[in-house]
Amino acid sequence: MRTAFSVIFSLSALVLFAQNPKRILLTNGILHVGNGEIVNSAAIGIEGGKIKFVKNALATTIKNSDWDTIIDLKNQHVYPGFVAPNTTLGLTEIDAVRATNDFNEVGEYNPHVRSLIAFNVESKVIATVRTNGVLLSQATPRGGVISGTSSVMNLAGWNWEDAVVKVDDGIHLNWPSSVQGGGWRSKPSDTKRSDQYEENKRKIMLFFESAKAYAEKTDTEKGPELRYEAMKDLFSGTKRLYIHANEVQQLLDIIDFSRAVGIKFPVIVGGYDAYLITERLRDSKIPVMLPRIHSLPQNEDDPVDLPYQLPSLLHKGQVKFCLQNEGDMEAMNVRNLPFLAGTAMAHGLPDEEAVRAISLSTCEILGIEKTHGSVEVGKQATLFVSKGSALDMKTNSVSLILVDGNFVELDNVQSDLYKKYSKKYGL
Amino acid sequence: MKLAPLFFLLISSFVFAQEINPVNGVKTSRPGLIAIKNATIIVSPDKTIEKGTIIIEDDKIINIGLLTMIPKEAVVLDYAGKTIIPVFIETNSSIGLPKVEGRHSFFPQLESNKNGAYYWNEAIHPEVKAVDLYSFDEKAMEDYIKMGFGIVSTRQNDGIAQGTSVVYSLGTSSYNRHLIKSEGGAYFSFQKGVSGQTYPSSQMGSIALLRQALYDAMWYEKADDKDANLSLEALNSQLKGRLIFQSNGKYEILRAQKIADEFNLKPVYLGSGTEYEIISELKKINTTIILPLNFPLAFDVKDPYIAKEIALSDLKEWEAAPSNAYLLKSAGIPVAFTSQGVSGATFWKNVRLAMERGLTASQALDALTLTPATILGIEKDFGTLDEGKKASFMVYDNNPFEKEAQVLESWLLGEQKVYQATQSVDIRGKYNMILDEEYLTLEIAGTKEKPTAKIKIRQAASQTKPRVNLKKKKTDDKPKSDTLEVSCHLALVGNDITLQFNSEDLKWAGNVSLHAKFNSKFGIFEGDGILTDGSWVRWSAIRNETGDKDKKPEEKKEEEKDEINVWFPNMAYGFEKKPAQESIVFQNVTIWTNEKEGRIDNGTVVVENGKIRHVGAGSGPLPKNARVVDGKGMHLTSGIIDEHSHIAINKGVNEGGQAVSAEVSIGDVVQADDIDIYRQLSGGVTAAQLLHGSANPIGGQSALVKLKWGHTPEEMLIPNAPKFIKFALGENVKQANWGEFNTVRFPQTRMGVEQVMYDAFERARAYEKDKAARPNAYRKDLELEVLSEILKGERNITCHSYVQSEINMLMHVADSMNFKINTFTHILEGYKVADKMKAHGAGGSTFADWWAYKFEVTDAIPYNAALMHKMGVVTAINSDDAEMGRRLNQEAGKVVKYGGVSEEDAWKMVTLNPAKLLHLDDHMGSVKVGKDADLVLWTANPLSIEAKVEMTVVDGEVLFNAKNDLELRKKVAAERSRIIGRMLESNEKGGDTKPFNKKKAKHFHCNTFGEEASDGANEH
Repeated sequence: MRTAFSVIFSLSALVLFAQNPKRILLTNGILHVGNGEIVNSAAIGIEGGKIKFVKNALATTIKNSDWDTIIDLKNQHVYPGFVAPNTTLGLTEIDAVRATNDFNEVGEYNPHVRSLIAFNVESKVIATVRTNGVLLSQATPRGGVISGTSSVMNLAGWNWEDAVVKVDDGIHLNWPSSVQGGGWRSKPSDTKRSDQYEENKRKIMLFFESAKAYAEKTDTEKGPELRYEAMKDLFSGTKRLYIHANEVQQLLDIIDFSRAVGIKFPVIVGGYDAYLITERLRDSKIPVMLPRIHSLPQNEDDPVDLPYQLPSLLHKGQVKFCLQNEGDMEAMNVRNLPFLAGTAMAHGLPDEEAVRAISLSTCEILGIEKTHGSVEVGKQATLFVSKGSALDMKTNSVSLILVDGNFVELDNVQSDLYKKYSKKYGL
Repeated sequence: MKLAPLFFLLISSFVFAQEINPVNGVKTSRPGLIAIKNATIIVSPDKTIEKGTIIIEDDKIINIGLLTMIPKEAVVLDYAGKTIIPVFIETNSSIGLPKVEGRHSFFPQLESNKNGAYYWNEAIHPEVKAVDLYSFDEKAMEDYIKMGFGIVSTRQNDGIAQGTSVVYSLGTSSYNRHLIKSEGGAYFSFQKGVSGQTYPSSQMGSIALLRQALYDAMWYEKADDKDANLSLEALNSQLKGRLIFQSNGKYEILRAQKIADEFNLKPVYLGSGTEYEIISELKKINTTIILPLNFPLAFDVKDPYIAKEIALSDLKEWEAAPSNAYLLKSAGIPVAFTSQGVSGATFWKNVRLAMERGLTASQALDALTLTPATILGIEKDFGTLDEGKKASFMVYDNNPFEKEAQVLESWLLGEQKVYQATQSVDIRGKYNMILDEEYLTLEIAGTKEKPTAKIKIRQAASQTKPRVNLKKKKTDDKPKSDTLEVSCHLALVGNDITLQFNSEDLKWAGNVSLHAKFNSKFGIFEGDGILTDGSWVRWSAIRNETGDKDKKPEEKKEEEKDEINVWFPNMAYGFEKKPAQESIVFQNVTIWTNEKEGRIDNGTVVVENGKIRHVGAGSGPLPKNARVVDGKGMHLTSGIIDEHSHIAINKGVNEGGQAVSAEVSIGDVVQADDIDIYRQLSGGVTAAQLLHGSANPIGGQSALVKLKWGHTPEEMLIPNAPKFIKFALGENVKQANWGEFNTVRFPQTRMGVEQVMYDAFERARAYEKDKAARPNAYRKDLELEVLSEILKGERNITCHSYVQSEINMLMHVADSMNFKINTFTHILEGYKVADKMKAHGAGGSTFADWWAYKFEVTDAIPYNAALMHKMGVVTAINSDDAEMGRRLNQEAGKVVKYGGVSEEDAWKMVTLNPAKLLHLDDHMGSVKVGKDADLVLWTANPLSIEAKVEMTVVDGEVLFNAKNDLELRKKVAAERSRIIGRMLESNEKGGDTKPFNKKKAKHFHCNTFGEEASDGANEH
């Protein structure tokens, strides 16, 4: 079995969690498929780490001998594993302790720097994230103009080799700000269109043009250029280009830039202003990973709930989007990703679209939608069960986690301490 | 005596003084009396004499009037057509003083580096006397004079107690003669200036420092046994005199006035431009406000992507600033003007702008003359041109309050200086001119002082060959194309003109220079000229048509006066009128009472006079004119109380300059126009404890506030609230994450923190003993006063804490000194010592799920609140974060998830329990008859993710209303585009513009240091 899977997935460099796959049947769950649909009483068959079928439980006859394990979910909710894109989870342990930070390399253009190999599967933070339903992340470097290359990981691995879902999925470009000023602490300075903006754009353009030329050349006499090597796949379309930007001026320029340089899969990360230009984003088919919606409005005059509204505004504008959580204390905060979706839901995003915004939509943007992101036949059995709605903190209570068809523990360092001290006090 | 012609920049000889100084040569000759006649004399704000006469003897006006007899011996000057105005008086200058420079070190400087017997803090230097430091700065003086100023009060604008100004008359003939007052006024501010000392690092620190210095000065005056202190000596003498406080931001005036009231002082204030926003408070203060004229420039709004980031508050300020003086004056507040920050033409442009907004000429004049004279106490001699006062005035060619005008002459203490010679003759007109046998037409236009000339020649009469002149064709728009125009360079000095021209089209191709004298009686020029070939010719011209008189000032259209609509606060989402209490009836709601009744379904809550009058199932009473809210399907709760908040704080959340800063108070620096107040109301928060940060073990006093959007800082403070102070432990106070340079201040370890605590309280005990022993002679120490309050149980501690060792330690310190720790905040390891906390009587206010942001939170668990709660500790969930503060209902929801606390108990963690921790639960924290009407209407169970706030009521005032919020958005957009439209107009007219300061989402965190909010990481 194991060999067979290795063969099937070696192309996408997917290595399975090395456990004995089981035949598992989950019945009577309320299935949030991830694609926007809901199945009220679902029977989900899992075999060899993959989803074999999804049926209506009421209309399905079960033969016990077909399954190693049958679990009656009794109307609990089933979700695809939630996906946290654009995060330093696994690349940092304690924000304020420099020794634990592995996400920001020195240098301006670091496309060759890869987060994959720094990903710490044993991060204590990861276990606390998993138990709220987030089972995949995009380990993302930060800093510089080009921060580096991210990889998509599952959050229950033994080491980065078997945790990785998509190796080097994309390169992260921090688009320069179109305005300058704002100042720092005691010296606020004037805000205006940045004097350096055109120059900064030109430099980026030059770098991409050079990388593109390098990708097209055939002579291999000279040794490889590490930076340009890493950029090659951007032009062939196997790697995404994640462009971090928020201002409307930047977003418009990014649309032009992507077209001009021939980036096959540009993705905007951030896009606070994207709601202003939904038509153009829709037409140019550039998806947006919205900024952490649990943020204050960026301008004093913005509607108080504008960040909460962004998902619904983009949904209405037919722009492909997903949610992410970059910001203050982002690693630990990944566990609140489901509640970002919940907040979006409370502010106008249809319920199942909210689920999609942290599952299938994310996987589509990351390019792993064939194997992940929804509970559908043929996909990896990476899913979880919650006693209530997983998008509501009051009811998010994860009772079962499967990653690639393997059961994952429901404890973490925090629940351990909870038990320890409950016991001390005889509670 | 005949008046000699006046030449440019000529200093006349009317200078005299009773010389003490030895004279080189025979004694100075005195011209005796001077009489100026036929001038328009603006004597004072309410008296103008047309064609009046002033008689001046030495530096004094000895007579002034319409029909004044001119003594025979007087030199008579005819100033027909000129306007005389008393000199303006600048109260806010630094002219002629050396620049102050500070030293900066990377390592913290805790003590004063100043040599001498001065105050311990470098920002307090009242001993600095400008009179010892100043010198004449001719260039700067001239700039002032050209605006109309003749007297300045100048001082080094640095520090909190800045020292005294010197008041002197401009003009450079003699230091002795020009000195008016050696100590004009004592100046103060809340800006620390160039002092390199770490303390104070915040505005509240500056406030505390100034108060302490004032107490020290009081004590110093009486104390028998004391070391010399020149600063305190100086301060004492200043307090009896004139005090001028320089504010920076509207609220600083209110803050300074609190100190003034405390010490029974009556300062005047240098305003900062937005005083119109606090008019009703200023009326109560009843003092003069000196207003700046440096109105904000229009922003460059041509790029809409950039313009969209400009805050409405800035736009509204741009629009309203010129109306500041008018609005204050209309409210009966005395105002003066300062020219600080403007110069030259901008000064007058802005004075006139203020007048366009409604200020009368007389009010504007008063603000520049009599009122500042009174502020400086020199109104006996200056401020008007009444008889007996000093002859200090400016001569203008026109009345500058009516139209563009130039200062022609200054008369400073009777000393005349001419800046621009007046042109007595008017040469403008059309002349027939004969030059070298050619008949030409000379046209002189322009102004009387700066005439311009053109020579016209009929082509037919000229000897030039006909040729095509493209240039000419282009410019010639008259049908008669046979007239050729040549422009000339004309200079007029006295009666002499010089004229140059150069044209290929004329007979004398090349340069022609002419000179002539003007005979004004006949209007004739006669003179000589030199041609290109070097030959001399005679020329003459006779006027056959006089020139246009100066254009009459355009009849000013009765322009619609700008209605400046000041909102409360004056920014996005402000109210048009200050919000007021309403009677409100909530019907059909699910009431979360937080009382033994628990949740009441389908109930009614009635609010009257800011209090809850009725709570119950079914219907209730219906007061007259009540707003009835049908809450079907909705939930009504008491307002969220955030036990740990840093919003709505101005200029510094930490006074980390010292390890102990109990003397500082957040209550002094509440900022009522922080947009986060509105945002938190939209999340159901109605009250908060605004805490000092955690930069030092003993921080500052808290402000317990209600989020009263639209009110003043003072009105936000909860009346008679219990006293609180912030303490802190752990990484922040030992500066663990502050970089390599911050390794100087004690403590640097948890061990040291304990000793800081013991030391502080031992000092407080000793202080109390001293106080009891000599109640009339002890030195009041603000820090120890506050610490004593803790020892006496009059002040509660909220202590920032993380790990169990330090929590345990502080409880031991408290137990040994017989006081209690009221609340541990953050308290992320509270679950490990919940039993000890319970025994001590401490409560806990924590985060729902934060951890992993620094080393001391590695053992933080989201089950903390549940465990403390189950152990009987009064537990609250707080924000410490402007963003999360508006989702505290969600955070309470997490307590249900982590640890299975019941919904009602979880809800109490953000309402009743923080009320208990803050000892406000007798009138807040639950929905109970008689309690404050701080209520929130939710669209769903407030603990669920679906819950949104429909309405937030504070003290019976509806301060957030979701439906109204949608209207407000439209209103904000409309107001923005209205003002941006106006700005665009100004942009297009080529008005000066500037970029703007983006109001970044910066916030104070526990660890934010300095007066400015940070956009750096929150280390809590």
